[in-house]
Amino acid sequence: MLGADQLRLIQPNLQSERVFRLLANSLRDYSLFLLTPEGIIASWNPGAERLKQYKADEIIGKHFSIFYTPKDLHIQKPKNELEVAAATGRYEEEGWRVRKDGTRFWASVVITAIRDDDGTLLGFGKITRDLSERREAEARYRLLIEGVSDYAIFSLDSKGVVTSWNIGAQRIKGYAADEIVGRHFSTFYTPEDRAGGLPEKVLKTAEETGHFQGEGWRVRKDGTRFWSSVVVTALRNEEDELIGFSKITRDVTERKHLLDAVQRHADELELRIAEREQTNAELEAFSYSVSHDLRSPLRAIEGFTDIINTDFGDQLPEQVNQYLGQISQASKRMNRLVEDLLDYSRLTRASMAPEKVNVAKALEDARQQTEEKLRDHVKVSVPANLVAYVHGSTFTQALYNLMSNGLKFHAPGKEPHVEVTATAKGNKVKIVVRDEGIGIPKEHHERIFQVFERLHSATKYPGTGIGLAIVKRALVRMGGTISLQSEPGQGSTFTIEVPGI
Amino acid sequence: MRTEKPTVLLVEDNDDDYQLMQVAFQRTPGSLELLRAEDGDVALDYLAGKDEYSDRDRYPFPHLVLLDIKLPRRSGFEVLDWIRKNSPLRRLPVVMFTSSRHTVDVNKAYELGASGYFGKPESMKELAILLGELKNVWGRLEFPTEADPIAKTQIRQ
Repeated sequence: MLGADQLRLIQPNLQSERVFRLLANSLRDYSLFLLTPEGIIASWNPGAERLKQYKADEIIGKHFSIFYTPKDLHIQKPKNELEVAAATGRYEEEGWRVRKDGTRFWASVVITAIRDDDGTLLGFGKITRDLSERREAEARYRLLIEGVSDYAIFSLDSKGVVTSWNIGAQRIKGYAADEIVGRHFSTFYTPEDRAGGLPEKVLKTAEETGHFQGEGWRVRKDGTRFWSSVVVTALRNEEDELIGFSKITRDVTERKHLLDAVQRHADELELRIAEREQTNAELEAFSYSVSHDLRSPLRAIEGFTDIINTDFGDQLPEQVNQYLGQISQASKRMNRLVEDLLDYSRLTRASMAPEKVNVAKALEDARQQTEEKLRDHVKVSVPANLVAYVHGSTFTQALYNLMSNGLKFHAPGKEPHVEVTATAKGNKVKIVVRDEGIGIPKEHHERIFQVFERLHSATKYPGTGIGLAIVKRALVRMGGTISLQSEPGQGSTFTIEVPGI
Repeated sequence: MRTEKPTVLLVEDNDDDYQLMQVAFQRTPGSLELLRAEDGDVALDYLAGKDEYSDRDRYPFPHLVLLDIKLPRRSGFEVLDWIRKNSPLRRLPVVMFTSSRHTVDVNKAYELGASGYFGKPESMKELAILLGELKNVWGRLEFPTEADPIAKTQIRQ
């Protein structure tokens, strides 16, 4: 029990005693009380009562060692704490303390020595806080981290030495905690990366920017490598001093393999595209030289035939003039053939960006290209505002080919007649080109769309045999279709559909 | 052989085409003189008046160049580029005369400074029409000639 003299000795010497008491009484979350130099409890506040369950009158005058566990008492902890506080002015710790009912709580304790102006020790102030909840949360957190097996979660000190290790780290890297704690984390890097100074760079980046994030090869205990995704975070204390790093590593080797496979496919694809571009360039060069070199001899044939005709025609037998006419016709045909082939090959390669095309205008353009004397035999019926979404010149060329096809194959002794109607059909445009010509037997309906396929001799129906192939190819390239209805003697009806808007 | 007629230098490697052009020139009522360079290198020598081409009586400086694109060794484009970068020749009218109808070629020709672009016609009739046009458009212009002393020295360099 504390003697009345001793209490008197302390209390008058405390400055602003009343203020202190008011403050202490208002603190409910902190236990705040005074001790004599010997450790006898000299005051008590509501916080202390709440925390330790003693009422003021049952605790004042008792020695403060009553709050300690038997184990701490055994090592004379209370006495030591007061000695430290007396010597250094302050003692601070976290540890187990005991309530009145014998239960324990995790306490944050600060003991401060109180001295008068002469330096004489008057006693101690003691502040205690219950950290049980925080401690439990920390324990739960630690258990959580230790139990995470998909991620290697561990901590490093500020130099990069491993200070903690979880089960995930063990699983991914192969080390048990006691094998690796205390070793430098550069152990996980490949010799190349170590030589390149990567571990240092990682820590430096984390230290300077707060964290480091990256992927790379790491080495397991058994020497095998895995592709890791890493986040390193710098840990700082309240004074902003670097105290270490946390490191979270994930084994993403599988994902890496997948991505690599995807990349390989992409590379292959790119290579193929490059090859195709190469082929296209070669085709382009080929068609260039075809148009240049193949036509040049034809020009000579045509030119010299013309010169002979003009300058010497009247000196030549009629038979020769007739042959010359045939030579000239043949060279013209050859010329058309080359042109058509070029058109056809262009349809295969050229890009065909679609645009809005007025169908009535395209049909009229096509009609204007037909032979002048036959032009009026083409009847067109189309709504003025009908719009197709096609490649303009290709569309017109296809329409022209169909019209001239219809004009060409008219029945002997009968005037050619071609009827074209265009209508909107849903979001498509449907164009029907109907002639009253000789018609096409069913078994040939497929063949006529192929290059160089013709059903008649060139003498009877002149042409290159490419026209309908061009139409078909053009429509396919523009996302359209073509179909044919025809019987011999009944005329032919070509129906095409192209994208509208 | 100094001639008073406007002269046209045809740069053409194909003998047939040259001969046809000759006939076409003969048929065009007496107004144009046809000269020939067989390829791009010859064209450069001709225009620069190098070696035998320094004889301008025999090889007069042309009023107009008709230039094929596809030529052995040095292409028509290279010849055109050379002409346009050679200051005394810069204003010499150069008309491309080629069987290529490729848009790429047409664009390139005009980018390099061609004065015109003609596809080689398929018939003598069309060729005659073309010559008539050439004469109308370029035959009446006043051309820079090598007689200009500044031009002469610069070309020689």
